[in-house]
Amino acid sequence: MQSVLAYGRIVARTVLGGGLRQSERREYRLITVSCGFGKDLRKGSGTTAKGSGYGDDACFVAAHRLADVLGVADGVGGWWDYGVDPSQFSTTLMQTCERLVQEGLFVPSNPVGILTASYNEMLQNKAPLLGSSTACLVILDRQKRCLYTANLGDSGFLIVRDGKIIHRSDEQQHYFNTPFQLAIAPPEAQDSILNDSPEAAEGSMFNVEVGDIILTATDGLFDNMSDYMILQQLRKLKDSSYQSLNETVKSLAKRAQQLAYDPNYMSPFAQHACENGLNVQGGKPDDITVLLSVVTESKE
Amino acid sequence: MYPMLTFLSMFYYICLRRRARSGTRGEIMNSRRAIESSNRILPLSVEVVQYAKEVVDFSSQYGSENSLSYTMWNLSGLPNVYPSSGDFTQTAVFRTYGRWWESCPSSPPPFRRTPRSFHSQEYVELAFEEAVYPTAIDVLETYHPGAIVRILACSANPYSQTPPSEIRWETLWAGEPEKVNVSQARQFTPCIKQLDFMTNLIRLELNSSFLDYYTELDAVLLHGVKDRLLSVRKPSMLDLEDDDKDDHSLEFFNGQITGIPLPEYTKNGYFEKLPYELIQLILSHLTVPDLCQLAQTCKLLYQHCYDPLQYVQLSLQPYWAGLNDGSLEHLQSRCALVQFLNLSWTGNRGSISTQGFRRFMQVCGYELVRLELACCHFLNESCLEVIAQMCPNLQELNLSSCDKLNTQAFCHIAKISGLRRLVVYRTKIEQTALLSILNFCLELQHLSLGSCVMVDDYDVVASVIGAKCKKLRSLDLWRCKNITENGIAAIVSGCRLLEELDLGWCPMLQSSTGCFIKLARKLPNLRKIFLTANRSVCDTDIEELAENCPRLFYVDILGTRMVSPAALRKLLQFCKELCLLDISFCSQIDSRVVQELSANFPNVSIKKSYTQ
Repeated sequence: MQSVLAYGRIVARTVLGGGLRQSERREYRLITVSCGFGKDLRKGSGTTAKGSGYGDDACFVAAHRLADVLGVADGVGGWWDYGVDPSQFSTTLMQTCERLVQEGLFVPSNPVGILTASYNEMLQNKAPLLGSSTACLVILDRQKRCLYTANLGDSGFLIVRDGKIIHRSDEQQHYFNTPFQLAIAPPEAQDSILNDSPEAAEGSMFNVEVGDIILTATDGLFDNMSDYMILQQLRKLKDSSYQSLNETVKSLAKRAQQLAYDPNYMSPFAQHACENGLNVQGGKPDDITVLLSVVTESKE
Repeated sequence: MYPMLTFLSMFYYICLRRRARSGTRGEIMNSRRAIESSNRILPLSVEVVQYAKEVVDFSSQYGSENSLSYTMWNLSGLPNVYPSSGDFTQTAVFRTYGRWWESCPSSPPPFRRTPRSFHSQEYVELAFEEAVYPTAIDVLETYHPGAIVRILACSANPYSQTPPSEIRWETLWAGEPEKVNVSQARQFTPCIKQLDFMTNLIRLELNSSFLDYYTELDAVLLHGVKDRLLSVRKPSMLDLEDDDKDDHSLEFFNGQITGIPLPEYTKNGYFEKLPYELIQLILSHLTVPDLCQLAQTCKLLYQHCYDPLQYVQLSLQPYWAGLNDGSLEHLQSRCALVQFLNLSWTGNRGSISTQGFRRFMQVCGYELVRLELACCHFLNESCLEVIAQMCPNLQELNLSSCDKLNTQAFCHIAKISGLRRLVVYRTKIEQTALLSILNFCLELQHLSLGSCVMVDDYDVVASVIGAKCKKLRSLDLWRCKNITENGIAAIVSGCRLLEELDLGWCPMLQSSTGCFIKLARKLPNLRKIFLTANRSVCDTDIEELAENCPRLFYVDILGTRMVSPAALRKLLQFCKELCLLDISFCSQIDSRVVQELSANFPNVSIKKSYTQ
């Protein structure tokens, strides 16, 4: 019985296949896995995310007919003084971006547009949301086979091809350890809270090929692992299977966490600090969120 | 057998699987289960269950235009909140609830002769992917349920390219507005009538008068079959015959009457003995369809029923489903003296043409004082031109949600110099037209500019309001996004008679500029002040309102973190007439405080909405 049905399907496909699919290019897809650790042990450490984030970080992965979209947001700490949980802003930002993608209210070539729309939607909430975060969005346009990105702040992404970094985002900082950030400030502190417009996000466009690895992460990763170390970890990736991807992303995040608590290690963060005149050594304990994606060809 | 199965599986793959691949919103997502009809000889029917694909029309919404939060957009597609309940952004919310807006001085009195079966205040129309014979409709209500009063289905397909020749609306279910005791989420599945046509356009009508807060809807499911159930399904418990007559089969408005000549020998019976005025008085209690039917009984009553004095107040909104050009033409002869005319919700999908409306206005516009045209999508510039020309006595004009009206049309309103009440909520009116209206309509007392997104600079508009509209008593600037303290200063200095001011969701107003203090001090007659979602409202502002505006009865300060219980106590003590206080999402006010205040001030309805 099964074989008859399968046979029927094959015949149907052949009948159809001649007409339509051959003239169209295969679409590209992203296979994405995530891992991370919150800085505070009480707030969701390990690989289980609280909601959709680790600590004050948040992330999302969404798929739409036209594009695969993913994003990370690093909630800026220090909001407890206003009675606000810093993770609320980044989580809501990412959830709103996800919803916009799922509803199809976005243009694949305009990731900054998603950030702007998401930020504006957060202002429409009856509840008075407060907080700030960085944001980094990566969109793969399936048909056009290219990546559109938007980055605001010091989270970012790398594109790795054949073991080499071919593209990376730039950090946006006002001054040392003060990244660009989207914020909703309380009225009493409007002038003293840093608040960058979503339009300040830097966008870029890049063509991708099958096998390209895209690493999107918050500064918890980049501040603790140099490029060389990241590439070293990525070499462990054997194929595009979920299992292999999961193993790699977990080892990346764990390594970053280890290094973060190593007092003797000269992390990229420590190096930057020294360049800025601060005599600092060791890793930087922070929330770590890593999204590891691989570009593949769509099966259909 | 095997070649047959192969063929069938091929067929299945080609037709059904390909369909499933596209995965756009609202496509059939769920079960296709076979249901047996009660008559076993008939073939099995497949039941199709679908979520709404798209919201095609609605009367109002709480959220901002082009936003996802608290807007009608959320009613299509899958539910986001159900079965949780609470005040969430991802639900569909209408602009008003309860009786608060009706009882404002700015609200006009209701029309007489509204049939008792017509309760609807708001509506939303949903299109589905596939047309079916409906077997059930589920409405997922996630907050303060109980507002749905009517569900209708349309024979027209909103997605067809050719406009249909005949459009029928059938009531699937009608009920009374209710107040459900528990404000938890529920799935509302009323018992619906069987239809004899396929439909993919459903309309919900709502009335939230009895509800404590905004009702919120999450999704609507349409269950139906593709093959008509010719069955012996039990007929609907509700006898909808009378309602049908009222709403849809408006033959009594049209040709049916004109064609029949009254026989000469008809006697008038004892009615002749009653004074004319008395019969007129009796007839004044009948609804319009009853009047039309009564006219067919005898010549005397025909004369009475066609007396233009019976049509001084005419509300055709309850009959929106069947009203067309023919009806208007037929009513024309009796409506020369009409003063209060309600055509809200009528004429859509081509049933009333602009020519038909213009003809009606030309005959009946002279005495018109109040004209309600909410959600009349057939209107165009020429219609407003004709209104301006033919209605010299017009004082009240309602164009709420006429969002298809182009911006040029509004320029004609400036010619109606006696205008006292103007509602352009959710229209595309532009600054130029608005300014010219404000310059020429100096009698304006009630102005609603809510959600008018095409106006560029509300400070400029406000300064003209302050300069020209000296008689203004109510002003609705809901979601007038860029108004600042300068605009407020201009308004409160110029419009000293202002009693109602709605500044909800105007984010540029900052308390630190002192604009609310100035407002309180300059408007001693203030009765309604809405500062919804203004995050800067603080204790000082509340105290100033308490000290300077003793006549306050409605106050909304949703969403501020800066107001303490002490300031609220002062407000409640000083403003003895206060009856509505909305302090939802005010972080410093928790449920204990609400309980304490409610106990000490039992006449005040204190609203505190929750997300959980």
